[in-house]
Amino acid sequence: MTNSEVAPYAALWPRSPRQAKVKSLAQRLATLEGKTIAWVWDYVFRGDEVFEQLEQSLKARYPGVKFVHWSEFGKSHGAEERRVVAELPQKLKALGVDAIVSGMGC
Amino acid sequence: MLRVSAAAEAVGIPSSTLVCESFMALAKAASVGLGMPNLQVATVIGHPGLQSKEVLQRNVREVTLAGVMDNLLKLPAQVTASQEPGARDIVCRGTFEEVNEYFIAHELSDGLPIVPPTVEKVEAFLRHTDRHPDEVLGVPLPDSRAATIWSVAVNGVMAGCRPEYMPVLVALIEAMVDPAYGVEHSGNTPGADTLILLNGPIIKRLGFNYTQGVMRDGFQANTSVGRFWRLYLRNVVGFLPHQNDKATFGNTWRVVVPENEDVLAKIGWPPYCADFGLPAGSNAVAVARYTGGNHISSVSGATPEALLPYIADAVLKQYSWQIMFSVCQHSSTLRPLILLSPILAETIAAGGWSKQEFKQRLFDTVRLPARELEKILRDWTQKPIWNLAAEHMAGHLPDVFHESDDPNRMVPIVWRAEDYMIAVTGDLGRNSCYVFAHNGVFGFPVAKEVKLSRKGT
Repeated sequence: MTNSEVAPYAALWPRSPRQAKVKSLAQRLATLEGKTIAWVWDYVFRGDEVFEQLEQSLKARYPGVKFVHWSEFGKSHGAEERRVVAELPQKLKALGVDAIVSGMGC
Repeated sequence: MLRVSAAAEAVGIPSSTLVCESFMALAKAASVGLGMPNLQVATVIGHPGLQSKEVLQRNVREVTLAGVMDNLLKLPAQVTASQEPGARDIVCRGTFEEVNEYFIAHELSDGLPIVPPTVEKVEAFLRHTDRHPDEVLGVPLPDSRAATIWSVAVNGVMAGCRPEYMPVLVALIEAMVDPAYGVEHSGNTPGADTLILLNGPIIKRLGFNYTQGVMRDGFQANTSVGRFWRLYLRNVVGFLPHQNDKATFGNTWRVVVPENEDVLAKIGWPPYCADFGLPAGSNAVAVARYTGGNHISSVSGATPEALLPYIADAVLKQYSWQIMFSVCQHSSTLRPLILLSPILAETIAAGGWSKQEFKQRLFDTVRLPARELEKILRDWTQKPIWNLAAEHMAGHLPDVFHESDDPNRMVPIVWRAEDYMIAVTGDLGRNSCYVFAHNGVFGFPVAKEVKLSRKGT
C-alpha cells in the first residue's frame, strides 16, 4: 500500500472476490496396468495423432491398459463444450474410466 | 481442455491435460479460476501444426508421455488459495500519480492513467442504477469472480466514464456474462476484441457519436465505455496478457458504435437490436467479438443491384479460417457484420430492398467453391475429421453446402440469410461500408436492454 503526506485519493480494489473455492484433486492411480484411460479431444491440433502415439507407448509399458476413444465424448471446445463437460461425469462412470487425458491446449 | 479435466477431477477421476509449451502460463492462471490450482498438465513441445509426423511422434514419446504418466500416478502437493483484498477495501492511498503507479504495478490498469476509484466516485455511479451494489450478475470464467454492480461502478470510474453511463455499463456486463456470448473464450489466440453496438434514445441523451468517425476515439461516451469493457475483462473476468489472455497479436479495445436511428427511421429499416427481439425505440447494447475488419471504400452504383457485387466480394475477402464457425466444429455460429454508411443504406432502401432482402441477396451472392473452403480448413489450418459432403451426409450441415459432388459448386459461408448482421452508422455523406470478421461461438452476438434508473438517467 502506498502512503503519502498528501493523499487525496483512497482507491478501491477494482477486482471482486473469487467464488471458486480451492478443491482437492482426485487420488492418483497406483499403476496404469489394467486401468481404462479416456481420450477427450477438442478436435484440433492433431490430437488424434498425439493420442495414437501415447496409446502405443502406454500399451508397450502397460500391456493391460485399455483406452476409450475420443469420439465417445464429442468436441470438448467450442459450441459443444458445455454439453460435453456436463455429460462427462456420467459418461466416464458408464464407461468405467479410471483416468482421462484431455487435449489439445495449443 | 482444463475445464474437462476439472470436471473429471471433481468426480474422483485423475486427469492429465496436454498443453503446448507456450500455453503453460495460461494453464496455470486458468487452473486457479477453476478452483484447482494444481491441475496437472503434460507438455507438448512447440506446436503440432508446424511439425512433421516424425517430429511430432518423437516429441510425444520423449516428452509428453512422461508427463502424462506423472500426472496420473503422482499426486501433487496441496495448494491453498492466495489472500486477496476484500471487495470494498482501499488498496492505495496517495496522489493521482501514486495511485496510478500502484495500479500499473499490480496489473490493475490497461497502461493508460485511470481515474482513481474512490468511494465518493463509485457512489455517484450507483445513484444511476436501481440495482443493489452487491447484486451478482454472474461469475464468469476464467477467474470465477463475482461480477457485481459494485465492481461495474468501480471499473466505470477507472475508465473515465460519467456516472450517468452506469445503466449502459450494467447492461454490458449482463451481456458479457450471458452464456451465449462465451466470455470464457476471450483469451483465445485469434485475439478478437469486442465491438459494442448501441441503440435507442440514450445515444443522443448521453452524447454518443453516431456519425462521421464513429469508430474513432475522441468522444467521451464512445471511448470511455469501450475502455470500460476491456478494463472489466481484465480486472474482474481475469483476462491479462501473458496469463489468461493468449492473443497471438491482439487488438486494442474498440470504441462504442451507435447506429444512426434518424436514418433508419427515414428508410424504414429496423434497428440492429431488432435482430435480438428488441423493438425499435429500445435502449439496447449488443456485443460480439471480431478478429478484425476492413473499410470498403467508394461503393458505387445507383441501385442496390449495382452495389451488391462489391459488398459481397468484400465480405468474402474478410473470411478465411473463420468459416470453421459455420461448417467445422462450431457449426452455424458465424455472424458476419457489415456497417453501412447512411447514404449507402439509403440507396439500397431506395431501390426497394428491405434489410431482410439485403441479407438474402448477400446470402445468395457471397459464395466460394466448395474445394476452396475445404482447402482452407482441412489443408491450411489442419482442422481435420471432416469434409463438406461427409458433414452433410451426417446431418451436420444443411443441403446448401452439398447440392452436388462437384468440387467447384458454390457454397455460402453461413447457413442462412439471417446470419448476416447489418448496422447503419458513420459518415452521412460517404458511400462506404465496413466488414467485420466474426469470431463465431467465441464471442457470439448478444444484446441486452439498457434499463434506466427510476431515480434519474
